[in-house]
Amino acid sequence: MALSVQGRLGRHFAILLALSWVVGCQSSERPERMVTIYVSTDRVFSEPVLREYEKRTGVRVNAVYDTEETKSTGLANRLLAEQARPLADVFWSNEPVRTLVLKARGVLAPYRSPSAEGIPPALVDPEGYWTGFSARIRVIAYNTTLVKPEDAPHSVFDLADPKWQGQVAMADPRFGSTSFHVAALYAMAGDEKMDDFFRRLKANGVRIVDGNSVVRDLVARGEVKVGLTDTDDVNVAIEDGQPVAMVLPDATGLGVPVMPNMASLVANGPRPEEGRSLIDYLLSSDVERQLAHSDAVQIPLHAGVPGPKNIPAIDSFEPMTLDFTRAAGRVEDVTGRLAGILGL
Amino acid sequence: MNPSSRAVVVTLAVVVFALCSLAPVAYLLAVALADLDPAGLWLDARQRQLLWNTGLLGVGTATLATVIGAPLGVALAHVTLPLRSFLRLALAMPLLLPPYVVALVWTYLCGGRGVIASLAGRDVLSGWTYSLPAAILVLSLVYYPLSMLVTEVALRRIDGRLEEAAVVSAPPLLVLRRITLPLAAPGVLAAALVIFVLSVSEFGVPGLLRVRVYTTEVFTAFAALYDSSRAMLLAVPLLLVCLIVAFVAVALAGERLVSTRRGHGTRPVLLEGWRVPAAVAAILAVGLSLGVPLTVLVREALSVGSLSAVVEGSGRAISNSLVLAAIGATAVVAVALWLGYARARSSGCLGRLADVLFVVAFAVPSTIVGVGLIGIWNRPGLVGTVYGTDVMLILGYLARFVPVAALAIAAVTRYVPVSQEEAAAVGGAGWLRTMTRIVVPQIRLGLLTAWIIAFVLAFGELGVSILVAPPGEATLPIRIYTIIANTPPSHVAVLALLQTAVVLSPLAVLALALPLRASAGARRVSTAAGAREAR
Repeated sequence: MALSVQGRLGRHFAILLALSWVVGCQSSERPERMVTIYVSTDRVFSEPVLREYEKRTGVRVNAVYDTEETKSTGLANRLLAEQARPLADVFWSNEPVRTLVLKARGVLAPYRSPSAEGIPPALVDPEGYWTGFSARIRVIAYNTTLVKPEDAPHSVFDLADPKWQGQVAMADPRFGSTSFHVAALYAMAGDEKMDDFFRRLKANGVRIVDGNSVVRDLVARGEVKVGLTDTDDVNVAIEDGQPVAMVLPDATGLGVPVMPNMASLVANGPRPEEGRSLIDYLLSSDVERQLAHSDAVQIPLHAGVPGPKNIPAIDSFEPMTLDFTRAAGRVEDVTGRLAGILGL
Repeated sequence: MNPSSRAVVVTLAVVVFALCSLAPVAYLLAVALADLDPAGLWLDARQRQLLWNTGLLGVGTATLATVIGAPLGVALAHVTLPLRSFLRLALAMPLLLPPYVVALVWTYLCGGRGVIASLAGRDVLSGWTYSLPAAILVLSLVYYPLSMLVTEVALRRIDGRLEEAAVVSAPPLLVLRRITLPLAAPGVLAAALVIFVLSVSEFGVPGLLRVRVYTTEVFTAFAALYDSSRAMLLAVPLLLVCLIVAFVAVALAGERLVSTRRGHGTRPVLLEGWRVPAAVAAILAVGLSLGVPLTVLVREALSVGSLSAVVEGSGRAISNSLVLAAIGATAVVAVALWLGYARARSSGCLGRLADVLFVVAFAVPSTIVGVGLIGIWNRPGLVGTVYGTDVMLILGYLARFVPVAALAIAAVTRYVPVSQEEAAAVGGAGWLRTMTRIVVPQIRLGLLTAWIIAFVLAFGELGVSILVAPPGEATLPIRIYTIIANTPPSHVAVLALLQTAVVLSPLAVLALALPLRASAGARRVSTAAGAREAR
């Protein structure tokens, strides 16, 4: 009897092990041609691009997508942790900071893609570690039922005006595209001016929320009148019929903050050739066209590719002239400053 | 008793626990200590305030969730409620809702332009909507089922004859207060501890409700500064808070080992006069914690143009999640059973230290576990063959949830008298046979509860999963959280409902089917025990 009890236990354990093995081995049944990409660009926008690549080339794309910055610690940490033995071949980032951190830590390898021809030189790394494509803009979103277009703020600095007391929202400036934006502002305008601005913004009752999509929703619901967010977030609300519009801030002055996507080859990735081919595709005009005409409304960087509706072309406004490396180098210091000033 | 088989099995379980739960933390701690900056160990005033907020959030949530959950557990165990199985399932369901989604629903309801403001015609709540009490309330509404389920299980383990004897000379409420609840207290306290740890580990809900907590500091070191060593060091004060709370809880619970036998009679009717109030309270709790969120989500979801477009492509993620969570929960319980047993049979300092270790291991932030697992398993050679497969997810579940399952199982195993094992040993039964024939059958409800808790937690796990999931594979939470970044609220609502429905389906079948079998089994055990006693 004791044997039968132990036999049953053993059988159950064997079944469990077998199930684990079957599930564990699912991912080892892979076709010969494949490439692995880690993607921080929103999945709803990036997945169709990668599926199209699979369709065109027959190469299977194993993608790992990222969450919004405040929901998990993100793929950059995974790339850093896997550095000694990477699984990824390509990293597709939706903003510059992560890429520049990874470059500085030796996670990336240089690759100059022929598809980069025609992209403005300021958006291509001279050393070849990253290439920009399809840009987003940091914008001021406003509720169209509560704010007339002519009354909307036209500079980030307007948000500290007492006129907007308790009516401004922004995402936590320590994360994501907002961290890039504030680091860029500090790099461009200087510490003294920016510290003062954020103190006044704090005194103005700014609402620090946990993501750009939350800023959009607060503005759309009219809980605040204006907020700092990204073009793609605002566009989702517009397409959803919400009463939201956007202003490109600082078109005169510091310049409009433009954030390109960045494609990079991962150093010592398992399939560098396939990785390079995928990067060539990501930097192509076809992908820029696809991203421009999707809800991502990203601005093409190749000349001649039609831009998204309702978003001005890249050559129709004055972009912020920014050294991305310098801005990324400010992130740690700015993060500490803002935690103190804004009481985060 | 055969000490060698017991030693082998328990040692194996301890080794698995050490490898999965402790090694990743030890690895990252070693890396962090290698480039230690002692100045970084001192918290500034802002960080101390954040740590205080975190403590308040944890204590507040553990208290409120227990205040809601424990009486409901008492009602389920001691009051003849109508449709009890169904009511238990409905009361447990809020645990299946992602806390972040419940917080989102809260803002839809109570925000400045929310449903309540629309009905009232003015903003009556928004000053309170984004606050620490709101975060405590939201988390309590999600976590109270833990307290409820553990309380019910604990009460069902108590020998009814003790209460029968007491009720002869004392009113039912006094019996409840002096006999029943003290006997159930270790289980209730263990559940409160788990809720405390879950609350202080949470950064999504406080973030959405604008409550500044210390957990965000750890998160910031990872997500903003990409510095895992700093994150590990910043996590130390958080773990210390959990350590202190665990010590206090263990000191309060003491070693209340129950030396009674499971009775074969029925439990006395202690609270029959409370049938109506208990039913009303249960229905209110279901309405508030489940009805309101689901109604708001369904209301949002109804505005979606095409349901299929939103859930398209989720099939594989759903099957992945169900299979992995089921295997994970089974593996977690398979390891935790022996650890929980060993804990229940340990006394003095060793036992208390084990409790504290389980609590602290469970409190380790998920990203630290994930990065530590990568450091250990992503290397050349045989070990590295596991990395990049779904086995990593199972290891992640083991790392995160064995401690909580061991705590839960230890709490119920304490109710199995040692004398029964001693009697079996005298009769010549080996230890494994004693376990499988005497101990396990008596704690099967506790094992099921631990399995369900592990399944739900594994199903909703995101922090470790997103770091170690094989490329090209995704669980449902990964898919949902990677989709919602740029999705209208209506789509978020559909995805949240989808996650709830998927995790609910197998649990509903289990919950509705198993009580009948469990009670039938219990009757068999009782009959056998009765027969032995008669002999």
